[in-house]
Amino acid sequence: MSESANDIGSDAVATDSPRAKTIGDTLLDVKDLHGGYGPIRVLHGLDFHVAEGEVVVILGANGAGKTTTLRALSGKLDATGSVMFGDEDLISKKTADIVRMGVAHVPQGRGTLPELSVEDNLHVGAYIRKDKEVRADIDRWYDVYPVLKERRHQRAGSLSGGEQQMLAVARALMSRPKLLLLDEPSLGLAPLIVQDLFERFRRINQETGTTMLVVEQNAQLALSIADRGYVIESGTISIQGNAHELMHDDAIRKAYLGV
Amino acid sequence: MDLFLARLFDGLSNGSTYALIALALVIIYKATTLINFAQGEMAMFGAFVVLVLATEQGLPIWVAVILGMVFSAVAAAGIERVLIRPFDPYDHLPLVIVTLGLFLSITALAGIIWRFDPRAFPRMYPAGTALTIGNATLTWYTVGVVATVLIVAGLVTLLLNTTKIGLAFRAVSSNIESSELAGIRVGPTLQFGWALAAAVGTLGACVFVADPIRQLEPSVMVRVLIFAASAAAIGGLDSLWGAVIGGLVIGMVQSIIVPYVGFIPNEMSLATAVIVLMLVLLFRPSGLFGTARVERV
Amino acid sequence: MSARFIWSANSREARTYKIVGWTLFVIALVLFTFAYADTAQIEIFGNGYALSLPRASKAIAFMIAILGLQVVVGYTGQLVLGQSFFFGTGAYLGAYMVADHNWPWVLSLLVVVPVCFIIGAIFGLPALRIKGLYLALVTLGLAATFPSIVQLDALDEYTGGASGKTVSSDLVPPSWLPLDGISSIFQNIPFFGQYFGEGDLSSSESERIWKFFLFTVLLAICIWLVSNLIKSRSGRALRAIRDNETSAAVSGVNLAKDKTLSFGLASALGGVGGVVYVAELGIASPLDFTQLLAINFIVGLVVGGVGTLSGAVVGGIVIAFIPDWSASTESFPGIPERWLQGPTGVFILGALLILLTFVLPGGVVAGMRRIKGRILQIVPQPPKGARVPTPPDGADAELRHEADEITAGVAANDPLTDEPKD
Repeated sequence: MSESANDIGSDAVATDSPRAKTIGDTLLDVKDLHGGYGPIRVLHGLDFHVAEGEVVVILGANGAGKTTTLRALSGKLDATGSVMFGDEDLISKKTADIVRMGVAHVPQGRGTLPELSVEDNLHVGAYIRKDKEVRADIDRWYDVYPVLKERRHQRAGSLSGGEQQMLAVARALMSRPKLLLLDEPSLGLAPLIVQDLFERFRRINQETGTTMLVVEQNAQLALSIADRGYVIESGTISIQGNAHELMHDDAIRKAYLGV
Repeated sequence: MDLFLARLFDGLSNGSTYALIALALVIIYKATTLINFAQGEMAMFGAFVVLVLATEQGLPIWVAVILGMVFSAVAAAGIERVLIRPFDPYDHLPLVIVTLGLFLSITALAGIIWRFDPRAFPRMYPAGTALTIGNATLTWYTVGVVATVLIVAGLVTLLLNTTKIGLAFRAVSSNIESSELAGIRVGPTLQFGWALAAAVGTLGACVFVADPIRQLEPSVMVRVLIFAASAAAIGGLDSLWGAVIGGLVIGMVQSIIVPYVGFIPNEMSLATAVIVLMLVLLFRPSGLFGTARVERV
Repeated sequence: MSARFIWSANSREARTYKIVGWTLFVIALVLFTFAYADTAQIEIFGNGYALSLPRASKAIAFMIAILGLQVVVGYTGQLVLGQSFFFGTGAYLGAYMVADHNWPWVLSLLVVVPVCFIIGAIFGLPALRIKGLYLALVTLGLAATFPSIVQLDALDEYTGGASGKTVSSDLVPPSWLPLDGISSIFQNIPFFGQYFGEGDLSSSESERIWKFFLFTVLLAICIWLVSNLIKSRSGRALRAIRDNETSAAVSGVNLAKDKTLSFGLASALGGVGGVVYVAELGIASPLDFTQLLAINFIVGLVVGGVGTLSGAVVGGIVIAFIPDWSASTESFPGIPERWLQGPTGVFILGALLILLTFVLPGGVVAGMRRIKGRILQIVPQPPKGARVPTPPDGADAELRHEADEITAGVAANDPLTDEPKD
């Protein structure tokens, strides 16, 4: 814990450079998304999009439908509307197929497999891959995050909360996704750990160009790494804009930034 | 001393059978946290198929055993797909009810097809004794059974730890949701678990009735299931090698402790197994080797 | 879809409906009693089958045992599979009191009920820690041990060992009861009189009628007691335990006390069922009380409907008649005879258990209530001065307004009420 808290300082300095990345075509285009759990409808017609290379954040209070949105994208619940991912509609596709199309999802809480070793967790992440570079990718993650290498043979459940969250992200990225869905990565982690984590997200996005859709309650931190943002209220998008605008929007500042 | 050795050998052969059925229970439990109450009956049915292949079709016994295991695996995969998968894996009541329904149906089906007359099962291991110490004899049967269990447990461990389907199986056992989000097809993976368990269970039933003192009939596995479940619980219900050790412990308890302790009559070995099961669950619910699971509220 | 008729609970129609319904039910029961007191066979698909009172009495024994399971499984949510253990205990203990101590059957209940209650409560203590599937496993194991326990050498002189405990099951009707008179009244009904035989009842016939009457009364008392328990404070505590043990505990439910009570009561009912069984059959033999019977009780519980009292009645009928009937069936249209010679009844029960779990998770009773709900709804009386609320649609409204036992049974299996697993 203390170790990872210590290296954020240097990381933050190293990466606090002006953003120089390319935003491409629309990767994910969601229109009129409805969904929920049985008779309880949570989403009432969401519209949003994510372009290639972007980091987009969805903000919202508890129960607004943030997690439900991500679950609908991953095919974890029945949804209607249109979710165009490239040329294909994800609606009513199975989770396993959606993952194969290049959508990786880090669920809320601990997205790890606690009984499996750290290395096996990474292998599970590469489960859908058939190429020969899995080993190299795992080694690359060990370089990026040496703690994982140190604990490669330990059960994932024995890692600290921050390490587990990082492992979950690494596991998701092992599938070499086009789009990474992150569900409240800050949940239950100490503020310093969270800062470190988000800094790493920013670097991953910049270095690998992985598109990210992040759902968060910690608006300030999420907006600091995001290009654009949406605010979701009772299952619909109420506010949208680029991250800079949102950070200075009075309504958002009152509701989510606590100032 | 001789008596002790004789009983030790007895315990080894009984315990090994329990270990095989316990292994089957553990494989399904690992994947789904479900106890398949029909495991013993599925195994019994498979043993009948082996018997028919060996005696009526004249196949060599081990060829028949392997074909019987394949038959059971395919049947179990079908059962999983049709009867188990439609239910929510976390809601135990309907699943328990379905396995109890399978228990009744499979016993009855075997009774309808093969009747209740006990039948001799072909020998799977050479006859005669491997070793004589005083008056205690170690038969080749006992040696063979113990070797079979160790080989099977080794192969299952290898399968789960080194293959891709094994990795998927372990992932699903650990966290269904995260596995699904990694692109693992959960249904077919659990189906694989059912098939593997049924194959191992069928081998267990064959080994059990291959003992020259036993015969095959439809209710032969009813009691064995209780012994095997106790064995699995001692091992922690989710540990493969724990199930093997648990099986041997129950076998030993049955053949050594029960006869030595004067106040436990011989017929009470089943009751003893139930009491052991209860004590383990009361005082060490994760068994000797199991991982403690957090209860989902 | 709204029901065809919607009546308020205290309306005249609703009261008339209830009174007429129950009267017809009792009349039908009495007619059945006298019509089937003999052992004459009726024809079902060309097979003779004696739909006789002894079989109905056996069904009552099973109903009482399943009623016990309703308490512990249906209302408290504990996966107890070992009811045959207490059924057997009740049967042996009852037979022992009557055969060896010349107690009357009724008084034997005074021993059986507390003994089974205490044993059940003792076995309920581990259940405070052993839960779910583990409890199912332990209790099934317990059921499996029963035959070997009663065959212990040490107990031989009390239990009769492998050959079982025989007891005279005489229950002679009191001389003031004009059974012959009633029978002759039925015999003189035009057209239908032929179904009631001729002349006076034989002594065994009147004995059967008397026994069936006593057992029915006993069943009614048991149902009445359980339904009162369910409505009481303790009953609410049990349902709270079923729905969520942790939140029940933090809401002030005394888990230890209420679970133990539930186990004890369930076991006592199992014992009472056993007494009825042995009083009817005149013998308790070890192999009647195996785990197969334990699983049959679960079949009865599920087929009737988990968490419904009337489900116990349906379930008892199913498990008493189906195996018997299939055993006496030698030919059936479209089924090879070979298939009818084995344990076909057991197969049917197993298949029925699986089938119902799929198509009718609330059991037969829930299905019947759903059909009834389409035709008739009886809604509770609104408070004085309040407007009569418009009942919401169809089955939904039925669930809300019938006694909450149904909601319990159906909701437990209804995918619509599942909490989102998030």
